[in-house]
Amino acid sequence: MLFGRRALFLAGLVRNARPTDRSGDTPARARNEAVDVLGQRTLLQRAIPGLMHAFIFYGFIVLFPTILMAMIAAVDAHATLPWLGHQGWYMALVDVFVILVLVGVATAVVIRAVFRPRRFAGSHRAEAYVILGLIALVVLTLLCWHASLIAAGLNEWPAGDSFLSNALAKAFPSGDTAERVFVWAHLCTVFAFLVYLPYSKHLHIGVAAVNVWFGRTRARGRLEPLRFDLPDDQLRFGVATAADLTWKQVLDGFSCTECGRCQDVCPANATGKLLSPKLLIMGERDQVFAQSDAPIAGNGVPEEMIWDCVTCGACVEACPVSIEHVDHIVDLRRQLVMVDSKFPAEAEPMLRDVERSANPWGKPQTERAAWAAEVGVRILEPGDPAPEVLYWVGCAASFDERARASAESTAKLLQAAGVDFAILGPREACTGDPARRMGNEYVFQGYAEQNVATLNEAGVTKIVASCPHCFNTLANEYPDFGGRYEVMHHTELLAELVRDGRLNPSRDAKPITYHDSCYLARHNDVRSAPRELVAAVGEPVEMRRHGKQTFCCGAGGAHMWMEERGRPINVERAREAAETGAGTLAVACPFCTVMLDDGVREAGAELRVADVSTLLAESLDSGGH
Amino acid sequence: MKILVCVKRVPITGGKIVLTDDEQEIRTLHLGFAISPHEECAVEEAVRIVEAGGGEVVVLTVGPAEAEEQLRDSMAIGADRGILIRTDGTEWDPQATAAAIVDAVRAEGGFDLILFGNESADAGNYQVGIRVAAALGLPVVTGLKKIEAGEGRVRCERDAGGARDVYEAPLPAVLTVLEGLNLPRYPSVPGRLRAKSKPLAVLEPARPASKLEKLRLVLPAGQGKQAEILGEGAAAAPRVVEVMQQLGVA
Amino acid sequence: MSVLLYVEPNDELSLQALTLARGLGDVRAVALEGAYQPAAWAAALADAAQGADAIVAAGSDRGNELLAHVAARLDQPFAANVTTVDGDVVTRVRWGGSLLEEARLHGSPRILSVAPHTQPAAEPIQVETLTAADDGSPRVLERVEESTGGVSLRDAKVVVSGGRGVGSAEGFAIIEELAGLLGAAVGCSRVVTSAGWRPHTDQVGQTGTKISADLYVACGISGATQHIAGAKGAKKILAINNDPEAPILASADYAVIGDLHEIVPAISAELRKARGT
Repeated sequence: MLFGRRALFLAGLVRNARPTDRSGDTPARARNEAVDVLGQRTLLQRAIPGLMHAFIFYGFIVLFPTILMAMIAAVDAHATLPWLGHQGWYMALVDVFVILVLVGVATAVVIRAVFRPRRFAGSHRAEAYVILGLIALVVLTLLCWHASLIAAGLNEWPAGDSFLSNALAKAFPSGDTAERVFVWAHLCTVFAFLVYLPYSKHLHIGVAAVNVWFGRTRARGRLEPLRFDLPDDQLRFGVATAADLTWKQVLDGFSCTECGRCQDVCPANATGKLLSPKLLIMGERDQVFAQSDAPIAGNGVPEEMIWDCVTCGACVEACPVSIEHVDHIVDLRRQLVMVDSKFPAEAEPMLRDVERSANPWGKPQTERAAWAAEVGVRILEPGDPAPEVLYWVGCAASFDERARASAESTAKLLQAAGVDFAILGPREACTGDPARRMGNEYVFQGYAEQNVATLNEAGVTKIVASCPHCFNTLANEYPDFGGRYEVMHHTELLAELVRDGRLNPSRDAKPITYHDSCYLARHNDVRSAPRELVAAVGEPVEMRRHGKQTFCCGAGGAHMWMEERGRPINVERAREAAETGAGTLAVACPFCTVMLDDGVREAGAELRVADVSTLLAESLDSGGH
Repeated sequence: MKILVCVKRVPITGGKIVLTDDEQEIRTLHLGFAISPHEECAVEEAVRIVEAGGGEVVVLTVGPAEAEEQLRDSMAIGADRGILIRTDGTEWDPQATAAAIVDAVRAEGGFDLILFGNESADAGNYQVGIRVAAALGLPVVTGLKKIEAGEGRVRCERDAGGARDVYEAPLPAVLTVLEGLNLPRYPSVPGRLRAKSKPLAVLEPARPASKLEKLRLVLPAGQGKQAEILGEGAAAAPRVVEVMQQLGVA
Repeated sequence: MSVLLYVEPNDELSLQALTLARGLGDVRAVALEGAYQPAAWAAALADAAQGADAIVAAGSDRGNELLAHVAARLDQPFAANVTTVDGDVVTRVRWGGSLLEEARLHGSPRILSVAPHTQPAAEPIQVETLTAADDGSPRVLERVEESTGGVSLRDAKVVVSGGRGVGSAEGFAIIEELAGLLGAAVGCSRVVTSAGWRPHTDQVGQTGTKISADLYVACGISGATQHIAGAKGAKKILAINNDPEAPILASADYAVIGDLHEIVPAISAELRKARGT
């Protein structure tokens, strides 16, 4: 009953939260349940803790019927579940899992008490031990109950099958009392656990599977838009207080087991910033439980944490229960930027420049295609027929001298391959990504609508972008504004051209290490195409943190324009690249180019940072065709 | 306090100016627009004064229909309503601009303070505020970096070498300000949404004859200086110091 | 033609204005004494200008202000910051100097101020001192000294300035270091003040301070026209920039291409070496 009341309270918090649409795509959701929940895939990424949890998790499933049996037997010692209660193989399985669960609990205790990993910093340690203790007690009382059943001769299954209970039974007196004692001890422990459950982080056992179901199945790099055309009382500008969270966000908080895997992979956390995605979710959750009216930013979640984030998504990838931390952080930023006007001052020029000059550099759009004149790239004028492919250059490649190389190389490669392409030139406005990641959804939507109108009027159907942020926004976010195009990242198109023989690079044996951009590898699963290109021009060597586990360059989340406290993320990554022994660090993003070039210099490493397209173009010049 | 702020819509030119073929205007295709910097600070100051002591901020511009954008931006940070004196898109000379503003002020009446930027970023004529004050018979102080509005008087400061000169004027008064007066706030989205429905009056007076008649615009010669490249990276340092010594500054 | 020229004592800009005024006709130079009271002083000038064909002053803060008052009083057009005069056609400065306007002054007397640093300074001539009657209009009540440590940007012989490329408020440490070694003032671009890294008093630009240094060192500044408007008063400009295509190079006398975070400390080190410190 206590459990029920608390459960109703929690369900109420979820039900009264703001709406969000997580419907559809049932097959993918079912697949996620099977893989992540039943298969424990994310958890098993760390072998020992993964196994530990798997033992306990599967143990819960296997042992669940024994709770029902205990409840029946409490009433009538001779009764049990029909059929299952008589199955020797089942009771044997029960014994096996009792052992596994105890092994799991012991492992967990050892990890926590002896190894004390950093990821538990800030988590509720006492609570964890209580839970582990209760789990152990549940299975121990179960074991003792079975043993005493056998000792009293009350077992409804062949005693010999349940080898452990049978062996233990010899230590029990043959009377009925022991059995009564332990069946009630078992049930009391279970009920105590049940009551404790929704007041603790163990709540996850009810909620996590639900949260996984409702996690994003596609377009992971897409942020959910806000609507500004609603009546005043329905307007939502992000998250100010706990009441502004969506039900998925509330569920995220309830699902959090404080495991800290997110904290472990967070690049900001790794470089001494205050941000811990785990503590952020926990802080928000506390505000939800308290049904507090206070702004979450500053109460429960320090404002500094909200700005430390580079939106790399490593936390989301690492979370076994599908918490989507980035959504929380951007929603908190939206309130701070759009309503409170409280954000790092150094980002204000960028926001003003994006709004007034259509690019975050504040340079005049008239000069956006200056690089293109020398390469002889066609600029699409209003009224021109649409090209087969529109090359979306992006602000960085248009205006930053280091990023420009990738635009020039990509254009030359497309020309060499005979692709019919054009650029929009001055009519290409910023996709709005930096404003959106900063939290200024309003400015972002203005540009989304403008760019979609430009693209649709021009009849564009296929776009190739050399910036992963542009690529992500065009592919995943513009459909919300009426822009549906086939969007490729330039490495994808170039890899296709190489495969088709329209570009023939020549290879030399120099080692090249490739840095996966977060917005490519993690948010959009583009990992193999750039690797094909690297392998075509040199000898690939991987960094430890690569592919989905890539470590951010530090520019995401509008950090290209914000100051960084603590150790620089880009230097950390540059050092990791240097450690591979490669002479070239290949990238596929203009932000990564600039950040890692800076990082390499500051680290004093001997590494050339170059975009994959530049390496490919150079290999064509030197013998390929 | 009832405050009028007069603003001008100017293009954001960036690094290079290109003229239209008829040499009458700057080519503004693909350029963004903003409120000229000095008066952006004037709008912020007016909003602050009214936030502190009550009243109303009216923002006015003489410009094309598109200049409504600048009025709405001002309303987004707190101006209460706007007046657009709509031109045909051609530039009005300072006397014509001042005359149109004076008519609008007389039609409305009751302003305690009228704020201007000291000069507009583009035309830089330095005179509209002073002309409006003279026509209305109001005291005027220009080039201000600090304003303290009090009961029926205003105390203000402007730079003078390394010091500040202090002036006082009785209200109503005209003041022209310089950037640096304050740091304009970043508009909130609720503010922008509210601005969309704040009142905007449009006046369309006839264009008076131009006594400072613009004939044409000309790009100054000497653009495209050839900088002498002293070197690349830290290795250029010795050459740099050599040049500094030659110039007598090192 | 008779020209009434308003001058400030010991003021180079007034001497430059004198050069242009001389080119128009016979010059009668006047100054005013007492506490500065713009409207009253303008009234005195307007009276003194009776019969003059032109009224001229330097395009300084006071010059522009006084002539605007005079023009308003006489209901005549006023052309500010003029570079050349040809009959009733003037060429005047727009956008802080990045653009020029040719305009016809339909008025008499012709009222115009002379754009600073567009004329050579003339030899001083006899100046008549006028007194203005107090007409109750706003006047300077007192002068408050400002406790700004360091060299004043406006008067500095050398200015070392940082822009977006410096990257942060802390990044200015290397700029300050070099400025310290050169006895220079520290300046910055408008982006830097908007970002909150430096106060507006450090801003060099059309809406900030217009400098007249012997050398202006622009580090990580791209060179928007409004910035150049404030910097071009410098005799020589050295640009330090990563981007060989940056607009500032078109206004600079010297350039070093590369990362300012490496170059600026290297220059400081080289200066120390040269001085044996």
